[in-house]
Amino acid sequence: MSETNTRLLVVDDEPIVGKRLKQVFDKIGFAIETYTDSAAALAAMAEKPFDIVVTDLKMEGIDGIEVLKRVRAMNPETRVIIITGYASPDTAELAEQEGVFAFLAKPFRLDELKQVIYRAIESGRAKA
Amino acid sequence: MALRDFLKGFSAQRWFTPKSCRPLPLVFSQFREVLKANNQALEIIADMGEKLSGEYLFDLRYVEATVEEMIAAMRRAIAAINILTQDQCAVLHEVFTPMEARVRAILNKRDDRDGLPLLWLNEIEDRHWPLVGGKAAHLSELLHNPQVRVPEGFVITASLFHEILDLNGIRPEFDRFEQLLSEHPPDEAMLEALRCLLQEKVLRAEPPPGFFATLTEALQRLAAGNPASLFLAVRSSAQEEDMDFSFAGQFHSVLQVPPRAEAVYQAYLQVAASLFGAKAILYRRQVFPEGSPMSIAACCQRMIPAQASGIIYSVDPMEPGSRSMVVVGALGQGQAVVEGQVPTDFFRLSKDEETRILERVIAAKHEALMPADGDDGGLAMQKVPADKIDAPCLGERTLLELAGAAIHLETFFKRPQDIEWTMGQDGTLYILQSRPLLITESAREKPLLSEKLEGYELVAADVGRVAQQGIGAGPAFWVETLADLKDFPQGAVLISHRDSSQYVQVMHRAAAIVTEVGSPTSHMATLCRELRVPCLVGVSDILAKVANGEEITVDAEDRRIYRGRVVELLTYQATTSMDLHMAPEFRMLRRILRNVSRLNLVDPLMQEFRPEGCKTFHDVLRFIHETAVLHLVELGRDDRCLPGGLARRLDLPIQAGILAIDIGGGIAPDAPRDQIPFSAIRSIPFRAILQGMLFPGAWHQETMPVSFRDMMHSMMTTPQDTLSGQYTGHNIAIISETYVNLCFRFGYHFNIIDAFCHDVERDNHIYFRFLGGATDIAKRSRRATLIATILEAFDFSVKTRGDLVIARTGNLVQSEMERTLDILGRLIGFTRQLDVQMTDDQAVARYAEAFLMGDYGVVAEKR
Repeated sequence: MSETNTRLLVVDDEPIVGKRLKQVFDKIGFAIETYTDSAAALAAMAEKPFDIVVTDLKMEGIDGIEVLKRVRAMNPETRVIIITGYASPDTAELAEQEGVFAFLAKPFRLDELKQVIYRAIESGRAKA
Repeated sequence: MALRDFLKGFSAQRWFTPKSCRPLPLVFSQFREVLKANNQALEIIADMGEKLSGEYLFDLRYVEATVEEMIAAMRRAIAAINILTQDQCAVLHEVFTPMEARVRAILNKRDDRDGLPLLWLNEIEDRHWPLVGGKAAHLSELLHNPQVRVPEGFVITASLFHEILDLNGIRPEFDRFEQLLSEHPPDEAMLEALRCLLQEKVLRAEPPPGFFATLTEALQRLAAGNPASLFLAVRSSAQEEDMDFSFAGQFHSVLQVPPRAEAVYQAYLQVAASLFGAKAILYRRQVFPEGSPMSIAACCQRMIPAQASGIIYSVDPMEPGSRSMVVVGALGQGQAVVEGQVPTDFFRLSKDEETRILERVIAAKHEALMPADGDDGGLAMQKVPADKIDAPCLGERTLLELAGAAIHLETFFKRPQDIEWTMGQDGTLYILQSRPLLITESAREKPLLSEKLEGYELVAADVGRVAQQGIGAGPAFWVETLADLKDFPQGAVLISHRDSSQYVQVMHRAAAIVTEVGSPTSHMATLCRELRVPCLVGVSDILAKVANGEEITVDAEDRRIYRGRVVELLTYQATTSMDLHMAPEFRMLRRILRNVSRLNLVDPLMQEFRPEGCKTFHDVLRFIHETAVLHLVELGRDDRCLPGGLARRLDLPIQAGILAIDIGGGIAPDAPRDQIPFSAIRSIPFRAILQGMLFPGAWHQETMPVSFRDMMHSMMTTPQDTLSGQYTGHNIAIISETYVNLCFRFGYHFNIIDAFCHDVERDNHIYFRFLGGATDIAKRSRRATLIATILEAFDFSVKTRGDLVIARTGNLVQSEMERTLDILGRLIGFTRQLDVQMTDDQAVARYAEAFLMGDYGVVAEKR
């Protein structure tokens, strides 16, 4: 289960999310970067591509849907996972249209996110 | 007190018989309503508890929304029990109101404001934590730990701090200051000006009227008639200090304070004002960038006239992976050590099975911090006598004792500890403080962790569910029966088939817990979270894979179990996982759950088992559940309430003489009106009991020879309860598809089983009561002991008083329930007349063994 080469970016304005995910994914060997500011996250993504992006939906400034759009425009290979406390059917549909890989409602088990991320890696490999 | 009186009191005062007889199906449907409402509340509580395991990501909005749902569910449960009992539990509304208010105060971050201004350290309970601050809460925990000694004292609470703010007109500035700290970026000039102003105003603040008198009284109590030797250490205890953050050295301490109210109050003000110290505010802004409510309490403890003092780290922070700990110490008071004013002795000790001293570096100690001369207190540097300068500050024996305490505290708090100690003039060791040891991670090594782990043998991977996150290593210790717990070694990993809340007895000693069945919402899981014991449940076949005594490492984060001691994981654990508990959402949820999920009302036979004894939401729900069950039990006992026409005889191969009253779905619709065969019984719990009774050999038809003496005895003394049962002449089962209330009146004894059983495990319960017999009390008590022994082996919680046995179990999956009820059925048959044979105490062990081995024939053989 070594994921040493997988590049993962997390953006959420609640610091706990990034801190926690960094702990979890560092431990199992991902290369992970975390941001609380979506503009800074996008800047990092512009510099180098990420395999997987996990983004919060509601954020000040650039929100999750906008992050999704820009990531997909920059690099269609990147899988985007949206995590949110308020998942209305409308936003879910919008995200689907924009090519979101998965939608996860907070609170969720870290293991659920891990499984989603493994699936995203698999789907990336299948396409390659 | 005669047993009869006891029972009368028990049923009359606590478990009232119903006044009027309502139709049974109606009562039963009201009972179901209680269960349903209770369950919704319990589910929400369990759900919140599970979030604390570390396995989840959640935010404050989740906490707020869930608390509202939980309060609404509690109100519904209280309403439902009052419908069932016809308002006999009305007082629960009054009991619950202040609990609700406390939880709302936590949500509004105001839970440190209401309470007594002064609390004794040994009287502090969980609910006081916000009032007394982290350090005092921690100390009170240590005070209750018999393995360490802590100087006695009291706490001037945060409630007094708030009272002083209001009384002295400081509140507006304080509120403005808190507000500024949460702004990004704040007005720095304003912040600094307010900080200085607050510090100054607090230092000059007047005490509330009457507080000096309270303080004087406390000091007299502490002096206990010997004021000359009493001096105090007044130390800060801020909200989060020690619990999650060290705040090490951020606040003021005043030592060697004379035992006069004014002096202690002045010392307290200095401590309180240090909340606004420049350094402390800077630190606060770093750890709480989003702002946090501020308040401070002060811990006032007896000063120990110290021979030597210092620090012990339970893990060497320079080499967290090694099995060694370090001690530094100097002569006199420890203040000089923590502030680096004097050279210190250094010791390194091994942490292997037998502690050894590995290294000793003795400093030349020319000076020591000692009490100043005179009555005004204070400390001063003094010259050390020549013969002590180069001698070690601690002898070998004390050093080893200290190491033992450190190992104990590390296991107790489940992480490496930074411990302040002092040794009195008589050589007694005291613990002044124990807090999590912060180890800075070596960034170089971390990314390699997953690769390093590949070298270890995995016993299990991706297995079970996480009940509490964390990493623990130690020798595996199999727990097969609860009796095994008494041999549980310090630092072992508990391995068992089932989970049990009884494991709480050893949680302080356990490095981790792994069970083959169980759920992350069980009582045990909740306790693991409270005590932060890493715990995996549902790890199938672990007993087959791990030998008793074999060293293993449990990673209850990635759900892996390794053979051997995985040093890299333990190092990782020591250097991280602090973050999680720092998060404001975790802190708030923890505080809420402290008022919600703890269960204090465990034993219905205890005096506290009344509405007024409820301290938490869980207690209220427990009380409601127990009351509802007992309401049904009593109803089944009351012949006046049994509609005779409804009772139908059973046609069984054994002569049990049972009448069944079906209140819904308990008997097949096409069954005959009378003489119902076993095959027509649809009630899940009743069927399981009957199955046990019908088990080959379990039911004994023979009449036991009862001696004349036994017979006379029973006629003279058998409680009313039993006699009335005998004359009724029937055994009655009130049943539905999921419920049974069975009253057996066999010969001279009386047996009740009340059970609810379906596919929602939380609803399921078994209540068992057994009483009486025809023989003398010694024989009857032996039978009671026999029944208790057998039931305990099947994980019932059991109480016996003389020949009365009350046993309960529950929260089991349906298949386990059916199995247990089947066993009860066999037990009824097995012990029916056994009291006659209980001629000596050895008989108890002999028959218990036989029953557990399935040798039911032993009863007949004996004759």
